[in-house]
Amino acid sequence: MKTDVYQAIMRAQMSRRKLLQGAAATGATAAMGGVFTGAGVQPAYAADNEALRKAILKIPGVGKGSPTDADWQKVGEMCLGPTKARIKPGEFKGVKLTFMGLNNQNQHDFLFRGFLKPWQEYTGAEISWIDLAQADYNARLQQSIATKTVDFDMLEMGAPFEGDTAGKGLLSEMPDWVKKEVDIEDYVAYLQAPVGTWDGKTYRVTVDGDCHNFNYRADYFTDKDLAKAWKAEGHKGEWKAPRTWAEVQEVSKFLKGKKDPLSGGQAYGYLDPYKGWGGFGFYFLEDRATAYVKMPGDPVWLFEPETMKPLVNNPGWVRAIQEAMDLRSFEPTDQINADPGTTAFQQFLAGTGSMVTWWGDVGQDANTSDSSVVGKVAAFDILPGSEDVYDRKAGKWVKAKDGINFAPNCAYLGWGVYVTKRVDGDALKHKAAWSAAAHLGGKDLSLWTVMYPSGFQVHRKSHSNIDEWVYAGYDRDYITNYLASQFGSYSHPNRTVEPRIPGIFQYYSVAEDELAKGYAGHYKSAQETADAIAAAWEKLTDQIGRENQIKLYKASLGM
Amino acid sequence: MADISERLHVVTGDAISARRRLFGRGMIWGSFAVLAIVAALQFAQSYNLMKVGFANWRPTLYAYAFWAVCLCWGQVVLRGEQGKRVLFVLPAALFTVAMVVFPLLFGLSIAFSDWNLASSEGPHFNGLANVRQMWGDTFFWNALLNMVYYVLAIAVEYAIAFGLALLLAADIRARKFFRVSFLLPLMLSPVAVSWMIGKSMLEIRFGPIAHLARYLGWENPSFFGSPWVARAAIEAMDAWTFIPFMMIMILAGLQAIPRELQEAARVDGASGWKSFWEVTFPLMLPVSLTAVLIRIIFKLKLADIIITVTSGGPGGATDSVTSYIYRVYRDRSNVGYGTLLAMFYLVIIVAAMTVLMKLVDRWMNPRY
Repeated sequence: MKTDVYQAIMRAQMSRRKLLQGAAATGATAAMGGVFTGAGVQPAYAADNEALRKAILKIPGVGKGSPTDADWQKVGEMCLGPTKARIKPGEFKGVKLTFMGLNNQNQHDFLFRGFLKPWQEYTGAEISWIDLAQADYNARLQQSIATKTVDFDMLEMGAPFEGDTAGKGLLSEMPDWVKKEVDIEDYVAYLQAPVGTWDGKTYRVTVDGDCHNFNYRADYFTDKDLAKAWKAEGHKGEWKAPRTWAEVQEVSKFLKGKKDPLSGGQAYGYLDPYKGWGGFGFYFLEDRATAYVKMPGDPVWLFEPETMKPLVNNPGWVRAIQEAMDLRSFEPTDQINADPGTTAFQQFLAGTGSMVTWWGDVGQDANTSDSSVVGKVAAFDILPGSEDVYDRKAGKWVKAKDGINFAPNCAYLGWGVYVTKRVDGDALKHKAAWSAAAHLGGKDLSLWTVMYPSGFQVHRKSHSNIDEWVYAGYDRDYITNYLASQFGSYSHPNRTVEPRIPGIFQYYSVAEDELAKGYAGHYKSAQETADAIAAAWEKLTDQIGRENQIKLYKASLGM
Repeated sequence: MADISERLHVVTGDAISARRRLFGRGMIWGSFAVLAIVAALQFAQSYNLMKVGFANWRPTLYAYAFWAVCLCWGQVVLRGEQGKRVLFVLPAALFTVAMVVFPLLFGLSIAFSDWNLASSEGPHFNGLANVRQMWGDTFFWNALLNMVYYVLAIAVEYAIAFGLALLLAADIRARKFFRVSFLLPLMLSPVAVSWMIGKSMLEIRFGPIAHLARYLGWENPSFFGSPWVARAAIEAMDAWTFIPFMMIMILAGLQAIPRELQEAARVDGASGWKSFWEVTFPLMLPVSLTAVLIRIIFKLKLADIIITVTSGGPGGATDSVTSYIYRVYRDRSNVGYGTLLAMFYLVIIVAAMTVLMKLVDRWMNPRY
């Protein structure tokens, strides 16, 4: 037995009985699959194996520093059970696969490499990597598709690109054994079909769930001095974390000139990313807008479904843009040069600012990343709401039915691992690619990735077991709060789901340029900025093909 | 006499028959017809006018190679020994046509196409629509205006480079060490400069330059928050990287000036400044102009620092034409329009540089 695995078991306080169970399973697999080369903890074949899950959760343990490549390899090796149950050692010798994915924050592909190293050693397959920065991803993918030079067998991709890939017949259909192995029934409801499917065929192993939640600093809102000042300045209501965007505005303006309770430096409220991020920055305007424009019961919020006429210049969106403009002078000095990577990782997690919207990475990294200083004071909620909402059909603002209209932004629909059509002509390569995808999307492995810095957030029903998070080292209240913001967004009846239409990031990118002009004061008003975005979107729709866009947009809305 | 000298170089008599001429012409024009037909079919397919079944552009490439071989061979068949002489140049000329002229024509065809990578329809000719779009594109004209500012700043860069070169040409201690040290920024990747300086040293919370600025009384330093400061910061980073390039060229020029000239000026009673202004500077003009012209060419390509640090912001204040084209192509996959912008920018650069070089030439070599 390898010493590191033994230590993992000891940390997990595995009982002798469980260890023997694992050993028995190991023996059974060895008998079935020939030479056994794995670690001592091998009862992973039953996906719910409690001992294995506990063992991997202690690598390295929450609060014990950022995981390293050695940790990723260790976790990958311990989760090889399902592979070993199906694949013989060395079965894929000579098979060469190319994987295209991201290198954001040294995560994504960096982890995949570690997870797949033991898989490669066991199966004999070789993987070469194409690592891309987030901002380069869209261009690289679109170029490969348009020039018919898809040079990768496996692909880390978000569902918004399924129209570009699956819709053009570029993906390999998922075999049934993979569906069972990764247990796709365990995915949360909003990530099940039609997400990951096209024309009834399944293509995606989901490794991530995406929604933007509201991250805030609890210490700000329990600080007595700030509470006293809030009263003294005549603000209505108690000093507490905002629930609406109007309150976010009020709190952010109030904090100007106050002291940060943690660092003693300048206090700041909400952190807007005013700088573009290859199209991904537009999600953050959406965060501000969804509560204003998404009516309960109406899935439409971005375009008119019959004409693809942009809604981005309706009064709801304009209010969101106006509020972002209004807050600029209350945010850190250089905020106009801050992109979303800056607001989350260089500002909020590093102790600047008290509120930020982001994907679940913030809550995940707050306690597990070496660069975070807010682990003990970070708190979470679903995105703020609004007391009134713009009814696009009636063409007027209406009072929210339940007092506050919440509309969590399920931005990007999570990352998945896809296999391209390139492997379909070679049975062995096909099996190897899907085996690697199944390994990366395995149920046990996914538990580890959602608890540690990985770029991936909760996406399975089985990730809601609070006890497992506490066992890993998370504080119960903290993680209950965090998971409520995640699952509360996924399952919210008024959530906004991103349309899976071709060129969606082109719309976002051109909007970022116009917004940058608006934020810098080149347009006279928020309305003029919004009109410029709408005009650019109309041009884009004509260029990509209006009829086809309407068809795909309506399909993505389920209309 | 001329007849004799010509005949000295002719090895064979070259009595070319009419039949051989006919064969030669037939070979050249026949192969050209093959090339024209294949290329026409290929274009027709690429513009969805008809389906030919070509999987890629190789048929046209093979037809071109076939025509090139026939053309070369045809020269010998038609003209004998004279044709063989042509073969010393013709293959190279045909290769240049293949590697320069064809891509340029292909680029032009894309520039006048509506081609968005996300569109399922592929590229199609759209006449002057991209030109009209460029005409009304405020982002492009704003970037072009920024380029004017960036290019004008070369005057300051030149003055600094000249000063440093004079220092390094003087008899100072550790001269070799300083020469190498001053060259180091040129060896750094602009992306590394962007991260080291733009994203770290100029970072407003923990950056040492921000600390210094606060210490000096700038309460809330911001290096990329307002248009002119951001432009100046980008220019400073680019200047820091490329001043050593001009410096080293000027230094080489300074070392080539004969010492006797300086000494003669001193004997004639010229002061330090007068000696520089009346002797050194005029002698350095040819080198200086070459350095400045090359620097302008480098400057017109400025993009990497801007993309990494500001993405063109705030509000397009630091955008360069190249960084804007990069966004159009990369983020929006708008290949047709992006190519037109690049082509137009190329025309502007070529025209501006030609005019500039003519002016310089006229100034340096006045015709009385």
